[in-house]
Amino acid sequence: MLTKLSNSKFLIPAMAFIVILATGTGFYLSIKQSQERKKQSAVAQGVFWPNPKQMNDFSTEDHNGEVFGLDKMKGKWSFLFFGYTNCPDICPITMSVMADAYKELTTEYESIQTIFVTVDPERDTTNNLSSYVSYFDKNFIGLKANLENESSLIRQIGIAYYHNKQDENYLVDHPASIFLIDPEMRLLAKLSPPHKSKKIINQFKEIKRFIDENN
Amino acid sequence: MKIISHLIFSLILFLNINTVLAENDLKITVTDLWISEAPPAVSVLVAYATLKNNSDISLSLISVSSSLFSSIEIHRSIVKDDIASMERHTTLEIPPESTIKLAPGDYHLMLFNPKTPLKMGDTPTLMFSFSNGTKITANASIRKRNNTEH
Repeated sequence: MLTKLSNSKFLIPAMAFIVILATGTGFYLSIKQSQERKKQSAVAQGVFWPNPKQMNDFSTEDHNGEVFGLDKMKGKWSFLFFGYTNCPDICPITMSVMADAYKELTTEYESIQTIFVTVDPERDTTNNLSSYVSYFDKNFIGLKANLENESSLIRQIGIAYYHNKQDENYLVDHPASIFLIDPEMRLLAKLSPPHKSKKIINQFKEIKRFIDENN
Repeated sequence: MKIISHLIFSLILFLNINTVLAENDLKITVTDLWISEAPPAVSVLVAYATLKNNSDISLSLISVSSSLFSSIEIHRSIVKDDIASMERHTTLEIPPESTIKLAPGDYHLMLFNPKTPLKMGDTPTLMFSFSNGTKITANASIRKRNNTEH
């Protein structure tokens, strides 16, 4: 009888305690979750998080005819755009917007590079590529994509392109987005068009802040 | 002597007729024609312009030509599902009393294989032919892209 009484005496406070604890934990978790969600939405669209793809090594030729591999991306933020030099409208628009963004970003950040990858290596000779990229900025890098190679940037990033071959003046369909690879060589984001330099700058700052906080 | 003066007279008359025709072309106008300065070694350039149809019937741009390029085509840039492509238009209709702007990221003229490299200050001539038989020659200016414009 006594034990029964003492049991029931403790039962109510114990239950109350459990209820309070559970509610509190639930409340805490939901706040934390919504904070996480807020953080995620603050990263802006197009960010591959929490599982960005780790890039593997590749080997290609740059606009100076030199070997360019993954090691050239280590420790740098790389903006990549896939196009072709005979593309008269979308490619030069994107490249000149990127040149404006690059100019401004490099006044504030070191270790940023812009890479133009041609998806038309047949017509884009090393010389063409060199004069093309340097026209937009002398520091821009031009790469020839290995269209067939499994380890190429094209395959690794998974970009789509199409050669509409009818005659020598053929057109090439290519991605409109700009891709961002971080200093740890992870494919971090896809920046969608329409491209504006201010938008690219702001997106980059947000993404960098997010990575600095969450890495 | 008489023959020569006849010839001169008819030449003047011929030139005048051409001027009259050109004035008549105000039914349709080509303004703000510019070619974007491009990196050297690029074999396809782009031109933009404003086409205005002041008449009450629909007119179409049917061709553009210039002795400075191997060919000129009307294209439109399309970005769909993140893929940038261009569709070729054999003609470009301009509805009555309306304006069509050839502009970056939209309709544009593809200028293939420039015979000589174009530089700032050049004013290459392009001839626009329309469905009503009107032909308009216009001089383009060479401009750098201004990214704040579009």
